[in-house]
Amino acid sequence: MSLFGTTSGFGTGGTSMFGSTTTDNHNPMKDIEVTSSPDDSIGCLSFSPPTLPGNFLIAGSWANDVRCWEVQDSGQTIPKAQQMHTGPVLDVCWSDDGSKVFTASCDKTAKMWDLNSNQAIQIAQHDAPVKTIHWIKAPNYSCVMTGSWDKTLKFWDTRSSNPMMVLQLPERCYCADMIYPMAVVATAERGLIVYQLENQPSEFRRIESPLKHQHRCVAIFKDKQNKPTGFALGSIEGRVAIHYINPPNPAKDNFTFKCHRSNGTNTSAPQDIYAVNGIAFHPVHGTLATVGSDGRFSFWDKDARTKLKTSEQLDQPISACCFNHNGNIFAYASSYDWSKGHEFYNPQKKNYIFLRNAAEELKPRNKK
Amino acid sequence: MTICQFFLQGRCRFGERCWNEHPGAWGAGGGRQQQPSGSNRRGWNATSQRYSSVIQPSSFSKSTPWGGSREQEKPSFGSFDSGDSANRNRGFGLSQNPFATSPTSDEQKDEKKFLEGIVKDMEVWESSGQWMFSAYSPMKKKPSISGFTDISPEELRLEYHNFLTSNNLQSYLNSIQQLKNQWRNRVNELKTLNTSTKIALLSDIKDGINQATPTFGFGSRQTATFGSPVIVSLPNIQAGFPVNNSMGDNAQNSSFTTSSGFATAPTGSPSVFGNIPAFGAVPSTSPAITTSTPAPGFGKPEITSAASFSFKTPAASGFGSAGFSGFPAPMAAGPVGVPGAPAFGNSSSVAGFGSPGSHSHTPFSKSFSDTHDGHSSTSTSVPVSNGSTTTGNELFTPKHQLTAEELRQFQSKKFTLGKIPLKPPPVELLNI
Repeated sequence: MSLFGTTSGFGTGGTSMFGSTTTDNHNPMKDIEVTSSPDDSIGCLSFSPPTLPGNFLIAGSWANDVRCWEVQDSGQTIPKAQQMHTGPVLDVCWSDDGSKVFTASCDKTAKMWDLNSNQAIQIAQHDAPVKTIHWIKAPNYSCVMTGSWDKTLKFWDTRSSNPMMVLQLPERCYCADMIYPMAVVATAERGLIVYQLENQPSEFRRIESPLKHQHRCVAIFKDKQNKPTGFALGSIEGRVAIHYINPPNPAKDNFTFKCHRSNGTNTSAPQDIYAVNGIAFHPVHGTLATVGSDGRFSFWDKDARTKLKTSEQLDQPISACCFNHNGNIFAYASSYDWSKGHEFYNPQKKNYIFLRNAAEELKPRNKK
Repeated sequence: MTICQFFLQGRCRFGERCWNEHPGAWGAGGGRQQQPSGSNRRGWNATSQRYSSVIQPSSFSKSTPWGGSREQEKPSFGSFDSGDSANRNRGFGLSQNPFATSPTSDEQKDEKKFLEGIVKDMEVWESSGQWMFSAYSPMKKKPSISGFTDISPEELRLEYHNFLTSNNLQSYLNSIQQLKNQWRNRVNELKTLNTSTKIALLSDIKDGINQATPTFGFGSRQTATFGSPVIVSLPNIQAGFPVNNSMGDNAQNSSFTTSSGFATAPTGSPSVFGNIPAFGAVPSTSPAITTSTPAPGFGKPEITSAASFSFKTPAASGFGSAGFSGFPAPMAAGPVGVPGAPAFGNSSSVAGFGSPGSHSHTPFSKSFSDTHDGHSSTSTSVPVSNGSTTTGNELFTPKHQLTAEELRQFQSKKFTLGKIPLKPPPVELLNI
């Protein structure tokens, strides 16, 4: 019995959407496939910061592992190293100098992986799976921020086993993003909190959700002066809200747009609505990419309020996405995100990470 | 400015828009830029102006402060300020207002639109194949409607894996099935919208804030509604997170100037960094807060106990209509902590609660025992013994002693009538 009615299942035994037996559409966009991709769903992707020469990609998966690849300019991907947790890895991030990778897992811990020595030590402990992890580099402090389903946001100095600070969340942390000095956390029950990180992290504002359904992913964007000025929030209902923190005209500047929906027979007929699994902003152009459960990714220009491109449909949902530090590479992971429950979970299905050249396609529509 | 007489009586229909002074109302209320929105807003203004005996210049109607709050699908209406004030105003102006029960035609139209919007959303939700375990709110910036559990796919997946490893897939499947059924029931309920659902919905939305304020009249309120077919208001606190917290501009200090034990809690919240002291006091006056999300800092220790509950035991009796065999441990544990604990029979001494919690039980146990005659909960005066943190032998049922249904009941947000367990909840599920 299908969980969700009449929509066609994703991972159901490899029936190709396009009916052809010769080509399977696991890579309809003909993007570069990362070698040695994880064995289970990929929950998070992260590229190395600019301080590290070259591009290194980290992916955390539901197979409890974190893998690292070197991505060369030719497009070749070389698996470099791997670390394990005792539970699925939900989030990964890099330190600002590129020497360490922080990983957050369902085993309620977060680890710091020193890439040079290939050693990983535990740096954080929660009472429930750790859903988000970010490295904060402030002028007067540095720490790791972890958000967990235990409704807390904890800040860790990696040298101590006690958190530097614990902030209570109204509900379980579902997603977070951080660009100094701002951090945004979206929680269950449509909770949304903005934090300011100057001096020490403190709650800046609680915002009433601009979306009607569960929050799924959030990404902060910057203004022309490279300062964080707002965020994009995605929900399970195929919608993204663009929200500015202090806009001159809130009613006009903040808006939501629909995405990751099937067209249906016509616009008034019921359409299939998919969750937005990830949002990433292009570091240079400021345009954004969204990936969804429908197996597509889309590029958008939020200032021109237009869609730049939508991809072909992959045969699996796209569960995570990420840009590299200069915006030349867009990485997205094709793996099952549980959006249709356990019935559509096929452990045999291969999971992919694709790399796409993003320099051209994400140029904003109107250039001043 | 003149003081608004209606406001003093608690029935000013203009709320923030009112030209008279509302003493001590919203600190941040004044001077907000509001956008004009639909004509129904203006119509309502005009009508209500006629109703009140205060003469307001007609130019007032040009600036409609409600902004996008009541608009259905205008995608660009992101003004959270207006939404926020709208919520507060309605709560304030209409809560005890007889006007609310016998609305003007414009008011009725608004409600109708609102309810139609909900019906439409439900239809879309059902047909679109989108994720069903999601909180839902009929309009942006409104509090979520009760009856929907918010579970992320990752949480569900983790539960699946945990059950797989413990070879207990069947109970996972059962709980999923139950969750789905509850969702379907709720959606159907909202689609068909009979009178009691309507009333509950409207009160969900309008009184989203008021739920916080009744001085733990929450205790009695809950008593009253528990036995009724109307959805228990308790989860609304949780769902009403955005509203209950002082939203909008930095007004982190709650602008609920009503003096309730609850309202004081959020004011403490900004300083919650790492310390819980403000909340130590709260639960004693406001037992229901144990679940309410707007009361942050609810105590890490409590969260520990709640979160440490593992899904492994096959017994999964959900806690109320949400009944989702509790993966989001904190969430499930929340409501459990409140009504579940002593009220449901067989409990003798409240162990393992710690001092704040212990206070909370007494009023609840009384009220609950009163309403639930069917239960063998004769222990109305639950001897509260503080301090012992071990899993209470008599106060709490160890998980393995609960049937699947009971565990599910405890773990969901609300009890389902007819399925309320007679045994006290397991301590792991409590979230104080």
